[in-house]
Amino acid sequence: MFATYLNSLHESMSRRVALVLFGVAILIAITFNAVVHVRTLPDGATMILVGAQPPAPPAIAVPSMLESILRATGSLWVLLAIFAAAPLLTATLEKGWLELTFSKGTSRWKIFLGRFLAGLTLYSLMFVIATLPVALRLWWKTGIGTWQMGIALLIQTFGFAALLAVAALVTLPQKGVALPVIAAAAIWLLTPSLAIRQETFYRIFSSHVMRGIIDWTYRILPKCSELEDMCVSFIQGRTITSWWPVWSTGVFTLLVLGTTLWLLGRKSF
Amino acid sequence: MTRSVIEVLDVEKNYRTFRGKTVSALQGVSLHVERGTIFGLIGQNGAGKTTLIKILLGLATPTAGAARVWGRPPKDPSARRRFGYLPEQMRLPDYFRAENFLRYMGRLNSVDRTLMKRRIPMLLERVGLTDFRKPVKAYSKGMQQRLGLAQALVNDPEVLFLDEPTDGLDPLGRKDVRDLLVQLRAEGKTIFLNSHLLSEVELVCDRIVILNNGTVACAATPQEFTRGTGEYLIRVAAVDDAVRAATARVVAEDAAEWEQTTLRFTPRDRSHLNALLDRLRGAPVEIESVEPVKLSLEEFFLQVVSGREP
Repeated sequence: MFATYLNSLHESMSRRVALVLFGVAILIAITFNAVVHVRTLPDGATMILVGAQPPAPPAIAVPSMLESILRATGSLWVLLAIFAAAPLLTATLEKGWLELTFSKGTSRWKIFLGRFLAGLTLYSLMFVIATLPVALRLWWKTGIGTWQMGIALLIQTFGFAALLAVAALVTLPQKGVALPVIAAAAIWLLTPSLAIRQETFYRIFSSHVMRGIIDWTYRILPKCSELEDMCVSFIQGRTITSWWPVWSTGVFTLLVLGTTLWLLGRKSF
Repeated sequence: MTRSVIEVLDVEKNYRTFRGKTVSALQGVSLHVERGTIFGLIGQNGAGKTTLIKILLGLATPTAGAARVWGRPPKDPSARRRFGYLPEQMRLPDYFRAENFLRYMGRLNSVDRTLMKRRIPMLLERVGLTDFRKPVKAYSKGMQQRLGLAQALVNDPEVLFLDEPTDGLDPLGRKDVRDLLVQLRAEGKTIFLNSHLLSEVELVCDRIVILNNGTVACAATPQEFTRGTGEYLIRVAAVDDAVRAATARVVAEDAAEWEQTTLRFTPRDRSHLNALLDRLRGAPVEIESVEPVKLSLEEFFLQVVSGREP
């Protein structure tokens, strides 16, 4: 599995889409660093200036800045990283390549899981490149810990894993990368509306049956937007009241990924 | 210990189309391959050859029956570590170079890194891939095929499955591959060869199976396939009335046919043939050659697939 994991990282680096995304991540890191200024006032107090906004003390400005970074990069990266990671999965099943790899002495599930983990790594790396420089700079200049970004990264990667698992499942019955990307993106776009379904879907559907279906859809699907909100709460120092988005997303990911690997093992090529 | 490395017992494989129709790719196929031999599988396109290889490699599951390699099901990854496989259509991702491609293929077969470091240069030399430093995307079809052979050998397999191994190679390259197969057999390896080039199969294989419409139509050694037809070709220096008369005394008119200076003749037995030769010498005429007529594998194959009895 580790050999496949390393090979998939090598493969992703050779793809133009991944290189472009890494370029964008570097650009975002540079932009955030350029707009954030840390000033020491004559009285010795440190103030943070973000663009044209009024200066704010670090205790307020640092969490606020981290939240902005998280909102900007977290949401964007989920969508963009799917474009970079889904081809890793579909390439596994390309004719002429699957015969080479699946006839070797490694189980299919290990090969596929290695590529899945490489996709997650790709996402994490992009996230780190875009956010780490500014988080480290704020910590160094203000002394306020920004380690919460590390936890946020783990939670965001967890949400991404659920979407990538959906892409993996859709990869099996067909060829091509379009459908897995569309499926993952559709769920990602649907989850914020499902989280606030009382304000969205309930206004459209009044029947109990439809509302019941919508409720169950919400319960089953991953809670990407709520995971992002959890990250923000964590960075702001607020208490996390419910772990429901985490464990329900975890169950969803495990079930979808487990089903994918089981079907892959049984599939005749 | 059993000498049969590959055993296929009553294997059936059915596919279901999108319209729900069942298509049968293999029906009751049984065969076995002995250790240290080259086994040839031939058949028309769509005869089921690749399906059978896929079943033997664990890539496809038979609908009924069983396939075993070294007594174990091919779905077992530890059994597959002893296999080498060159697929007919191989896709090499652009980002690879020969060495890291072979390293990855070796790692998938759990080959030790240090061993691989020593083995890779030897393998590249063995398959005749000299200019291997450039990326694989710059390789010609022949170079890709040589690299494919190298990856099939990277784990020093005991059983080698080769699907059209000489595809894309020039005549010299084909000879290199034939020589390599003979060397590998001498090393005790078992080779399962699937090829359209019947002349090659005839040259290197110890046993051949003809697959026709998903069933085993014929199984024999190349010698048995290319056995004599019972006819002889007798070439003489010149044909005149005396020679024709001498022939007519021994052979009924319908059992012999002159084509210029060559007589096509089906004797009852060897003494009948010798009697004709004695008559011809007494005619007198000089006999240049006497040659039994044999079927080539290609002729035999064409007769089998067209439904005629060879």
